[in-house]
Amino acid sequence: MMKLCQVIVHATLALGVITLAQAESSNANLQYNASRWDPIHFKPAIDSASNEQCLTCHQEIIDRKVLERSPAGLLPEDALAWYQTLDTYEGEQDTFHRRHLMSDYAKEVMDLRCNTCHQGNDPREETANSSANGDTALTQRKHVDPTLCLMCHGQYDAQIMGVPPGDWRETGNLFNFDCLTCHAAIRTHRHQVNFLKPQAIEDAAQSRKDVCFGCHGGRAWYDIPFPYPRHAWPSAGPEIPDWAKNRPTESTARFLATPN
Amino acid sequence: MAMKLDEEKKAKVKLAVKRRKKEVYTPVIPDTQLGFVHNNVDCIGCRACEIACKDKNGLPAGPRFRRVQYVEGGSYPEVYAYKVNISCNHCAKPACLPACPTGAIFKRQKDGIVDIDSTLCIGCRRCEATCPYGAPQYDPEEGIVKKCNLCVDEIDAGRKPYCVMGCMMRVLDLVDINQLRQGVYDTKAIAPHETPVRAVKNFADPTLTNPSIAFIPHSKGKVE
Repeated sequence: MMKLCQVIVHATLALGVITLAQAESSNANLQYNASRWDPIHFKPAIDSASNEQCLTCHQEIIDRKVLERSPAGLLPEDALAWYQTLDTYEGEQDTFHRRHLMSDYAKEVMDLRCNTCHQGNDPREETANSSANGDTALTQRKHVDPTLCLMCHGQYDAQIMGVPPGDWRETGNLFNFDCLTCHAAIRTHRHQVNFLKPQAIEDAAQSRKDVCFGCHGGRAWYDIPFPYPRHAWPSAGPEIPDWAKNRPTESTARFLATPN
Repeated sequence: MAMKLDEEKKAKVKLAVKRRKKEVYTPVIPDTQLGFVHNNVDCIGCRACEIACKDKNGLPAGPRFRRVQYVEGGSYPEVYAYKVNISCNHCAKPACLPACPTGAIFKRQKDGIVDIDSTLCIGCRRCEATCPYGAPQYDPEEGIVKKCNLCVDEIDAGRKPYCVMGCMMRVLDLVDINQLRQGVYDTKAIAPHETPVRAVKNFADPTLTNPSIAFIPHSKGKVE
């Protein structure tokens, strides 16, 4: 695999500096199409792929930054991204991958690997599921299942939590956007997964309110609450509430910090 | 004449904008919501819609606003094949729109078209990540994101998008999606005995953004 990948003129291709045809003509050993079928892009090999292996070919996701100005001349510093309004992010606008892998906050509380989100794709259609037989768990047209994003960016269900008055913005105002007002005592071990740094999250939440509210309550990505696996807290009692029936009680096996 | 703000007031305005942007996003509720309907069973996968789209939008190799996906399976003699054809779904609550840091993405009030002014795009690719359906397409040659705008110029001229006009089987159509779901919109993409659904197998959860699309599913592509 490495040999195949190493012959790819990865960064120049992805940045569009040269076209595929130009790259192939400039390097007789280039096997771009063959490398797309490399086992590392499929189960089970992708589960054990290291970041270094992925970045051998896909380094451009780290190198590439936002444009210095848009085609119409808009400067990134003249626009305010939502993530820049949170107390968890400092600095200029940056690309999606860099913010999840290279930003100070990412390094502080996350331990994301390429295969945390990416579970391969189907090279035949450059998308998932060209075979209805193969239960690949991939999502059509997407390289990442969007429900994975919700593991971090999912709203909690205000109704289930019973927080008045059922609207997150109003609830936030009521509690001064400080989730730990109640959740200092009611704590689960939900953050104990292999793509997060649980203790760092606990520490960061003490000083920055958006560590909790920014993603789980505030302006979340999607308009629906995410049905997190139920992690009962120590004082929750043995009875399972109606809303938690049939829900898993721990995170998906591949995300468990210490696999069973 | 506009009043000129002093530095102190400018800082206050900036702070207010930041506070508002952090907490609030008000979705556009369109007068009418246009959307696609695709018949997965009758589509022959000729990709004329894809080519018409690439041609209309002058797209280089790489970005594909519309994509016909071939889904095949089964074991002889019980084999099957169907096509799923998706571009931008012009969602009722598009996740890409509030994600855009420069305001390049917007939703039209009159027909619910979600469009992107790519000249304002700085290529952060955040919309690409938030869209559950893979609609925003990164153009590596220009370093910006582009997407289907339902051929908005054609719509304004009273015609249908190039992909619909190019479909020789008439399995792809542009409809008033709410009327279609109520069963009162007549389209050649749906036979009298067929009932449209909101999602097919491996299509991302439609409750995420309420996509304006309907499918006539193949029996093997149905979801509960």
